[in-house]
Amino acid sequence: MPEIEVKGKKLLLDEDGFLQDWEEWDEEVAKALAADDRWTGAKVELTDEHWEIIRFLRQYYEKYGVAPPIRILVKEVKKAFGPEKGNLKYLYKLFPQGPAKDACRIAGLPKPTGCV
Amino acid sequence: MEDKMRRVFDEYRALSDEILKPDEPKKERFIQAFKKMLSREENWTFWLPLLTSLDLCVKCNTCAEACPFYVASGRKEIYHPVYRSDLLRRIYKKHFTLTGKIFGGLVGAKDVSEEDINALAESAYRCSVCRRCAYVCPIGVDNGLITRETRKILYELGIAPDEIYHKGTLYQKEYGNATKTPSEAFLNTLEFIKEDLEDEKGIEVEIPVDKVGADYLVINNAGDYYAFLDTIIGQVEVLNAAGLDWTYNTPIENGTNDVVNYGLFFSDKELTDIGRLHLEVVKKLKPKTVVVGECGHAYEALKFLYKDIYPEWRNVRVISVLELFDELIRTGKIKVDPEKNPMPVTYHDPCKLGRLGGLYDEPRRILNAVCKDFREMEPNRDMSVCCGGGGGFAIMHKDDFMTFRMETYGKIKANQIRETGAEIVALACSNCKGQFREIINWHKLDVEWKGIAELIANALVYE
Repeated sequence: MPEIEVKGKKLLLDEDGFLQDWEEWDEEVAKALAADDRWTGAKVELTDEHWEIIRFLRQYYEKYGVAPPIRILVKEVKKAFGPEKGNLKYLYKLFPQGPAKDACRIAGLPKPTGCV
Repeated sequence: MEDKMRRVFDEYRALSDEILKPDEPKKERFIQAFKKMLSREENWTFWLPLLTSLDLCVKCNTCAEACPFYVASGRKEIYHPVYRSDLLRRIYKKHFTLTGKIFGGLVGAKDVSEEDINALAESAYRCSVCRRCAYVCPIGVDNGLITRETRKILYELGIAPDEIYHKGTLYQKEYGNATKTPSEAFLNTLEFIKEDLEDEKGIEVEIPVDKVGADYLVINNAGDYYAFLDTIIGQVEVLNAAGLDWTYNTPIENGTNDVVNYGLFFSDKELTDIGRLHLEVVKKLKPKTVVVGECGHAYEALKFLYKDIYPEWRNVRVISVLELFDELIRTGKIKVDPEKNPMPVTYHDPCKLGRLGGLYDEPRRILNAVCKDFREMEPNRDMSVCCGGGGGFAIMHKDDFMTFRMETYGKIKANQIRETGAEIVALACSNCKGQFREIINWHKLDVEWKGIAELIANALVYE
């Protein structure tokens, strides 16, 4: 299985670059995952806007044990940060490979399973 | 993708190295597992059609031109539907028939190598089991069934794609759904749907959960609540508009709130394990009718297979949500206005709902009622071409498996969509939705896909 090294510690990833253990995540890990271009071919430079989304994903996951459906993510972002941020276009601008492949992966959430 | 895996059959890999273990000998174990499949007691489900399909092929080639993958590949010999079946037949004849044992290669009983077993394993995941080949076979040989039986043998060796096995049926058994969604999260999503319908459409709805004795227990593919939530929102709106006595369910105890049964793709053991979860839910909630959401393979399992597996299931009435919607429109329980969907719409017949289940007229009556400009995709109905999401493929994307999905089945489908001139492709199956989402991006099609429920909800007229 692939790995990523953060602060001298090797963390296990799955075959698509998702962190195997979501509890190993911290902000340093997020930065390393964002800079890891082996999976989507592009690095993501994390700005304050990225962190807003990443923190929401972490909180949702900690509360419900699963990533939020995209529709819920969009609506909650809209509620918290306004309509100019609460839309898919904005999310794709921040995370070009989409909310799952980029945002959830950088937030350290496991890869979604089932028919999704 | 890091380090490319060794090729064992063609340029793709569906199974990871951890699962296939391509360098580990497995021929003897394969033969032992195959022996099991040829025993009536061990394989009572599909023993007879397996034997007849192994014995009867006369190599007339009718199936080849019906296979979308074979044709799209440029008619490569290794993708001929009979090529895969014949690999299995060689083992069958060599080890399990008298003539094969005596005359060997003269009667097609040439022994196979370890590498042939690797090739056969990968090749079992190049067929979406759409069974278009079986439909045209003049003597009823079912190459799709042979694919599935081959997958069953491989499962005995622990070989099955982790997307549908380890992270599919095993998750569904452990967590009550393949998406690993806890009930609290599921209920939160339902709350979101209520809020959303109120905000966006000004409609107040009820979403009953775990109601005992309802007229309709509607079970969706759990993935729909993530990836295709608009379909679910449309469904909730339509069910409410019709004023039905209905309910969704949580996994309750030892049950499931996911209608999928990936065992259908690769294992009778998994198929029956998951079926028991569905049975448990039905026993506890005692609905008058079980409604399968927009999902193809689940319709096959719940409608046709379970009644042969569990005696208790014979009294369970199962319908597809398409049949329910069609009835609601025909009987005037909901009013719809096609002018609300003025754009050209086409429909893709999912293999499991159409060719297998015979639901051709229901979706067409629905779409003609709710859309102004419904157009047929060619070919359609019984000769509809699989989108390439069937057989578990829609959620498999190891290595460059996506290229396989997009450049074979997907390419054919993209051209068919273009020819209709439609702006919307209506889809009635989650696997099709997952596959079309990718096809539209990959082939840069200027169309959108929508679930059937979404289109109906959009056409609803409230009095």
